[in-house]
Amino acid sequence: MLKDITLGQYFPGNSLIHRLDPRTKILCIVIYITVIFCIKNFWGYGILAIFTALCIFSSKIPFSYVIKGVKPILVFVVFTAVFNLFLTNGRIIWSWGFLKITAEGVRLAIFMVLRLFFLVMGTSLLTLTTSPIALTDGIERLLSPFKKIGVPAHELAMMMTIALRFVPTLLEETEKIIKAQTARGADFESGNIINRAKAMIPILIPLFVGAFRRADDLAVAMECRCYRGGENRTRLKELKMTKTDVLGWVYVLVFAMLVFASNILL
Amino acid sequence: MIKLNDVNYTYMSGGPFEKAAVKNINLDLKAGEFIGLIGHTGSGKSTLIQLMAGLLKPDSGSITIDGQTLYEKNTNMRKLRFQIGYVMQYPEYQLFEETVFQDIAFGPNNMGLSEDEIKRRVHFAAKLVGLDDAVLEKSPFDLSGGQKRRAAIAGVVAMEPKLLILDEPTAGLDPGGRDEILCKIRDMHRRLGITVVLVSHSMEDIASLADRIVVMNQGEVAMQGTPHEIFKGAKDLKTMGLAVPQITEVCDRLREAGLPLPEGIYTVSAAKAELEKILNAKEKR
Repeated sequence: MLKDITLGQYFPGNSLIHRLDPRTKILCIVIYITVIFCIKNFWGYGILAIFTALCIFSSKIPFSYVIKGVKPILVFVVFTAVFNLFLTNGRIIWSWGFLKITAEGVRLAIFMVLRLFFLVMGTSLLTLTTSPIALTDGIERLLSPFKKIGVPAHELAMMMTIALRFVPTLLEETEKIIKAQTARGADFESGNIINRAKAMIPILIPLFVGAFRRADDLAVAMECRCYRGGENRTRLKELKMTKTDVLGWVYVLVFAMLVFASNILL
Repeated sequence: MIKLNDVNYTYMSGGPFEKAAVKNINLDLKAGEFIGLIGHTGSGKSTLIQLMAGLLKPDSGSITIDGQTLYEKNTNMRKLRFQIGYVMQYPEYQLFEETVFQDIAFGPNNMGLSEDEIKRRVHFAAKLVGLDDAVLEKSPFDLSGGQKRRAAIAGVVAMEPKLLILDEPTAGLDPGGRDEILCKIRDMHRRLGITVVLVSHSMEDIASLADRIVVMNQGEVAMQGTPHEIFKGAKDLKTMGLAVPQITEVCDRLREAGLPLPEGIYTVSAAKAELEKILNAKEKR
């Protein structure tokens, strides 16, 4: 059940995309997201689809695995689509009582769905191909110029590493507690919403208690090893830009230019 | 009582992290038996007992409890689980209620019992695991480690299951707490006549409690038999990364040194009796 969530999970491999420097990947994703929100017509989405498909193909991750990452936000996507469909002003093509659908609304709804869809696909491709450690290393390096104006880059990265590190641990613990309470006859499936929310209490309380216990233990363990933040710390793996990264940059920039060209020309 | 037929279970099947946990398990536990389950870390013990408790669905094969097959269409899993008590490793992490009383009552409450019956069962279970009535009104988070463990076990026992499965119930306890918990488990088994499956890494505990021992190795049942039969095979156990009770080890070494001791001694009293026999025979000569 819980293991079916692929959003934010790492899929080990050694493909071109896996080998890219995390900084390249993060910045490329930023460009990718910017581009998604700049697309003005369906041609742009066509180019986006081809680009995304090529990326997934070269990452050697099964397509179905990437699609699975979209599932958890499906409800959100449907909501957005419905709101855009009914609440956009413009040329009315269908109406019933106070409900109306406009041509602009249809267009916007489709755009929104596509945007969210590609947004999640792109970002889940980032987390699928980048180990959490590499990801936070990349973020730390990208933020380090801002240290001068007081951004605690190392601390932020450390917090993210710890948070990511504990995702699988907490999932495992949740599953254990669910099993224990199921064995005691807890019922999570029947009843109305209030009953179901109440049924979560026997899971949430032990989970919180456990999370605090772990946080405490970790803090003690870090202090025992004299951890004291980012100053003068060296690292095991230094990040290095390679030829692959140059290739990645060229690829993404060509894609961005194609989309902008399609915005203007088509 | 419970029968496992060619049971297989694989973790994360289909994904990149696929791992077979248990393979071709065939077991038959009789009512009232005390089963000791041993095996190296990662040998599939925990998976096996979770399958027995109906918490995991076998990929293939079937598990039958009192004639009802688990996960079959017309089997009410929730009702069936009421008959199986499952005490996970570090069960104190399941405590959540405001008072110990309420926490122990969680299971019986879910069973839909009357208030009087719930009260009776809570007090009965608390007494059985050795918790005073004064403790029942405390918050479970204010108890000591050993008391928490006992409160959690009481929460399972209060459901009065026919089959009680315990996953290393003594892990992380001090020797005093350990002996006490094991003593209570033995009591429960004797007084209630229930079937017990106990997972433990301590060969001494298993030897002194179990009627029958099941040895798991790499996801399969490697050996099963009485403690006497199992601890005769000290060499086999050692290749699986397991040990025999200390007293068995002592007797085996003495036999190697030339004393005519029989194989498969696993209690101190039996060893003492055998040694006395040898000494008496020597005196007579």
